[in-house]
Amino acid sequence: MNTDELEQLLAQQPVALLHRLARGRIHRHFRAGKKRLIELLLQHSIQNRAGLESDLQALIGEQHSRSEAGSSRINHPPAITHKKASPRGVGPESSETAISLSAWLEGLGVPSPQPFVPDPWQSEALSALNETDVVISVPTGSGKTYVAVEAARRAMDDNRTVIYTSPLKALSNTKYTEFSRIFGFEKVGILTGDRQENGQAPLLIMTTEILRNLLYDAASGEIDVRLDTLGLVILDESQYLADPERGVVWEETIIFCPAQARLLLLSASIGNPQDIADWLTSIRSTVCRLVRHGKRTVPLRAGYLHPNGKLTPLFRTLGIPYGHPSQLHPEAKRLFLEYEEETLPGGRPRR
Amino acid sequence: MPPSIHPVDLITALRHKHLTPAIVFLTSRRACDEAMETFDHADLVLPPARQEAIAVALERITIQHPSIAEHPLIPIVRRIGVAAHHAGHLPSWKIAIEELMRQGHLDAVFATTTLAAGVDFPARTVVITQSSIRKSRDFTDLTIGEVQQIAGRAGRRGKDHVGFAIVTPSPYIDLAVLTKGLTGQPEAINSQFTISYPMVLNLLKAHPHEHIQGILAKSFAQFQLNQRAELLEQKLDAVHVQMEPFGPRVCTDWITQWHTFDHARRHRHTRHQTHRSEPPEISARLPFLTPGRVVGLGRGRGIVLRQYRSKGQKNSMLTVLRPDSAVTECPVTSVREVYDRTCDCAETPTYPWCSTDTFDRLSHQLEDLPSHVPVLPILISPGIEPLPDAIVQSLGDFPCPTCPSRPTCQKDFITASRLRQEQQRHTKSIQALRTSLWHRFQERVEVLQKFGYLTPTTQLTMDGEWARLIRIDHSLLITELIRADAFTGADPSLLAGVLASLAHDDDRPGAFPRISTGLSSLLGQVRKLAESLSPYEDPPLLRADVAALVERWVADPTLTWIGLCRLTTMAEGDIYRLLARTLEFLSQVQAVKSTHPGLAESASQALTLIRRGVLEELP
Ligand SMILES: Nc1ncnc2c1ncn2[C@@H]1O[C@H](COP(=O)(O)OP(=O)(O)OP(=O)(O)O)[C@@H](O)[C@H]1O
Ligand SMILES: [Mg+2]
Repeated sequence: MNTDELEQLLAQQPVALLHRLARGRIHRHFRAGKKRLIELLLQHSIQNRAGLESDLQALIGEQHSRSEAGSSRINHPPAITHKKASPRGVGPESSETAISLSAWLEGLGVPSPQPFVPDPWQSEALSALNETDVVISVPTGSGKTYVAVEAARRAMDDNRTVIYTSPLKALSNTKYTEFSRIFGFEKVGILTGDRQENGQAPLLIMTTEILRNLLYDAASGEIDVRLDTLGLVILDESQYLADPERGVVWEETIIFCPAQARLLLLSASIGNPQDIADWLTSIRSTVCRLVRHGKRTVPLRAGYLHPNGKLTPLFRTLGIPYGHPSQLHPEAKRLFLEYEEETLPGGRPRR
Repeated sequence: MPPSIHPVDLITALRHKHLTPAIVFLTSRRACDEAMETFDHADLVLPPARQEAIAVALERITIQHPSIAEHPLIPIVRRIGVAAHHAGHLPSWKIAIEELMRQGHLDAVFATTTLAAGVDFPARTVVITQSSIRKSRDFTDLTIGEVQQIAGRAGRRGKDHVGFAIVTPSPYIDLAVLTKGLTGQPEAINSQFTISYPMVLNLLKAHPHEHIQGILAKSFAQFQLNQRAELLEQKLDAVHVQMEPFGPRVCTDWITQWHTFDHARRHRHTRHQTHRSEPPEISARLPFLTPGRVVGLGRGRGIVLRQYRSKGQKNSMLTVLRPDSAVTECPVTSVREVYDRTCDCAETPTYPWCSTDTFDRLSHQLEDLPSHVPVLPILISPGIEPLPDAIVQSLGDFPCPTCPSRPTCQKDFITASRLRQEQQRHTKSIQALRTSLWHRFQERVEVLQKFGYLTPTTQLTMDGEWARLIRIDHSLLITELIRADAFTGADPSLLAGVLASLAHDDDRPGAFPRISTGLSSLLGQVRKLAESLSPYEDPPLLRADVAALVERWVADPTLTWIGLCRLTTMAEGDIYRLLARTLEFLSQVQAVKSTHPGLAESASQALTLIRRGVLEELP
C-alpha cells in the first residue's frame, strides 16, 4: 500500500475507528477531528508502517464482522470491499425505501381536547394498590403523577397519612404547588432540608433523606403519629436507587417503611424493574405488583439537523427503530460522514 | 462549515418546521449563556401579541419572586421567546422559565442535561448536541437511560401528536452513542448500598446487635449479591460434575499430595526464595488477580495481564493494561478494588503477556467498561499460605515415585488442580457475597467502638446517643469536632463558614472574599482533624474561599444579595445552593440541642441569619 492508498483507506473509515487506531500511537488523539487524525496517523506511519497497516486491517475486519453480526454499532460502509468507492458513497441499503422528510414531519400538531380516561396501566396500578405494594416502570411523560394523586386521594379519604418523596428539592417544590392546587393548601405540607411548612398535614411532600430520618427516629422510640396512621408512601423517580451517593437512602427508606403502609415506586424505564419488584416481595408482607410498559404514549421521532440548517430523519423508519440502532437514514448518514470529515480539531467553540 | 449550528439558525429552522417549543440541551452553562448572547441582535422577534403575553406572564411571576425582576435575560425572553435554564441560575429564575414553558409562551429553552432528571418540563422537540456529559471532572458517554430521559422530554401528552428528538452535531459527538441510546433497552439498576457511621448508630439504637445481620439482608444490595451467589453456585455445581473423575485414588487427597511432591521436586534447588511476608488482606487477593481481571488502581482502572514476583520487591507484582493501551507494572498493594469482572485472556510467556488479538480486544473492553462495575468482595482468611517451605521439607519421603497411580496422577494433575482451584475460588466468592455486608458493618462498629461512640457490647455511649442525629456527609468529622469543643464559643458566622466548607463538594475555581483570621484558624483545626480521620472517613475539600463567602453573609446582615454576588465569581445559583446546603448542615447540628445547648443556639442563630433576601423567597 502506498501512502496515497493508505490515506484514502483511512479517509473511508468512521472516525471512531480512527480513534481506536490512534490509541497508544498519538498523544491526546481524542482531541483531533477526522482530517487532523488522518494527518497524524500518516505522520506516525513513518515510524512503523507495517504495524499501522496491519492494525488498520484488523480493525476494519472487526468492524465488518460486527456490522454483519447486526451488532449495535452504526453500519458504516464496509471499506475493504469499496476501496475505490468515494468516501461519501452510501451503503448498499440505500436503494431500499427510507422515509421522506415530509412524511416524517406529517401529523405534527395539537390533538383536539379529549375527556380524561385513565390508561389501562394506570387503572391496573390503582387497583393493585388496594392489595399490595406497586412498582411502576414506564417511559417519561406517561402519567405516573395521576396514579400518585389518585392513590393519595383514596388513602386520605380513608383517614390515612400519605408521604410523597422526590429526589430533588426543585421537584418537591413543584409537586407541593401542584398537590396544593388539587387538594387544597390545608391538606398538603412540605419538609425539605431547608423548608418546613404545614408539617402535620395528611399529605406530606419531602425529600427522601427526610423520610429516612423520620423512620430512624421512629425506630429508636420517638413517637410520630404521622407514621402510625401512615397508609401510603410514594417514592417518585425511584431510579435514583442507582445513584452512587444517594441510592442507599432509597434502600434504607424501603427497608424501614412501616409494614401497614403501601409502597408505590414510580420510575422511568429501567432495565430490571422485575428485580426491584422481586426484592420488595422478598422483604414485605405481600407480593409486590410490577406495572411496566416501554411504549411511549406520545410517539417519538428522531431527526438529524445539519449545521447548515438541513433537516432529515435520523432513521430510515418513521418511528424509532427500537432494537435496530444501525437503521440510519441514508441522508443523515451521508451528512454526518461529511460533518466528521470537514470539522477540524480544537480551537473552535464547543457547544 | 461551522462545528455546530448557530443558535439563531437553529431557532429559525425549528420555527420554520413548526417544531417549537423545544428544549435545546447543551454541554455546559457557558454554552447556554453564549447561545443567549447570539440573540442580542437577532431579528427573530416575536409578534407583538406574543411579546405582550410573555410580559404579562413574567409580571405575574415576579410578584411571587421579586428576585427575577432585574434578570439580565428578561429582554431576550420577552422579545424572542427563548431563555437559558441551568444550575447557575437562582431557583426563582428556573421556576419562572418552567412556568412560561408550561404556559406555552416560549419557543426554546437552552439547558444543561441536569434538567433532564425529573423536572416537569416537557416540549414538542428536544435538541441533542452531545453524546457525553461531565461527571466528576471526566466526560463520560451518556447511558441509554440518560439518552431516553433526555429524549423523553419531547412530546407533551395532550398537546402533541408526536414528539421530536433532533440530533445536531458538535465536535466530539459520537452518533453511535445516541442511536444506541435512542433504540436500546435502558440499563439495569445496581445497588449502591454503603454502610455509614450514622446508619450503624441508628440501627444499633433501635435493634439489638444480633438482629442487624437480618436487617442488612433485606437490602437490595444483598438481594443482588444473592443473585450473583446463586449464579456462582450453579457454576460450582458444574465444577463438581467435572471433578467426578478426579475423586480419591491411592491417597484420598492425591491432588495435594502430587502438588506437594511436584513442587518439592522442582524447587529442591531454589531454596533462596524471598520470604513471603504479605499481609492476609493482600494474599487473599492474589488468587483473584489473574490475567483478565479488571482492577481499580489509584488512577482509573486496568486489566491484569500477569502476576509475578520480582527480586527487589517485597510484594507480588502485577503487569496491568491501562487506558490508551499503556502497560504498567505495579505491586499488588496498589490495587484499590478487585472488580467482579474478568475478560478472556489468551496468555503468552513474553511481553505483553497475552496475544496481540487479546491485547487489542482488552484495550477496547477496558475503554468500553460501564462506569459502574460491581466490586468483588474478598474474604480474608488469615494464614493460608499455599505451601510453606517448612512443610515441604518435613514431608521427607513421598510415596509418589513408586505409586501405581503415578502416571494417571501426573497426567490428570493439571486439569484436576485447575478445577479444584476454581472450586475453591467459587466457594470463597460465594461465602464472601453472602457475608460481605455484615463484615462491612462490623468494620464500622469497630471504628465507632475505638472512638467511643459504642461500648464494647455495641450499646450506644452518651456520645453515640447524640452523634446518631448527625446524618450527613462527613458525620464522623463533625461529631469529632463537636467532641473536641472546636465550636465552643464560635459565633454563628464562624460555625456557618466551617459547615459551608464541609457541605460544599464542588471544585469549580473562582474568586472569593478574603477569609477572616478567626475562620482561618478554625479551618486549620478542622483540616488537621480531617487528616487524622482520613483512615476512617474521606476528608472533605474544605475550601476556605467558599467558607469565607458564607461567613460574610451571616456576619453582615446589611449585605445584600447583589453585594454578596459581587464578592465572588461564583454563579448566583451556586451561591444559593451553597447556602441551602449549609442550612441543611446547620439544622442537623441544631438537632443536638439537649446535649449541646450552646452549639444548637449558635446554629439556630445562623439559620435565621442565612434566611434573608433571596433565600426567603420560596416557590
Ligand atoms: N390517562 C391520561 N390521558 C391523558 N393525559 C394524561 C393521562 N395521564 C396523564 N396524562 C397527562 O400526561 C402528562 C404527563 O404526566 P406526568 O407528569 O404524570 O408524567 P410522568 O410519568 O410522571 O413523567 P416523568 O417521567 O417526566 O416524571 C400530564 O400532563 C398529564 O396530565
Ligand atoms: Mg413524574
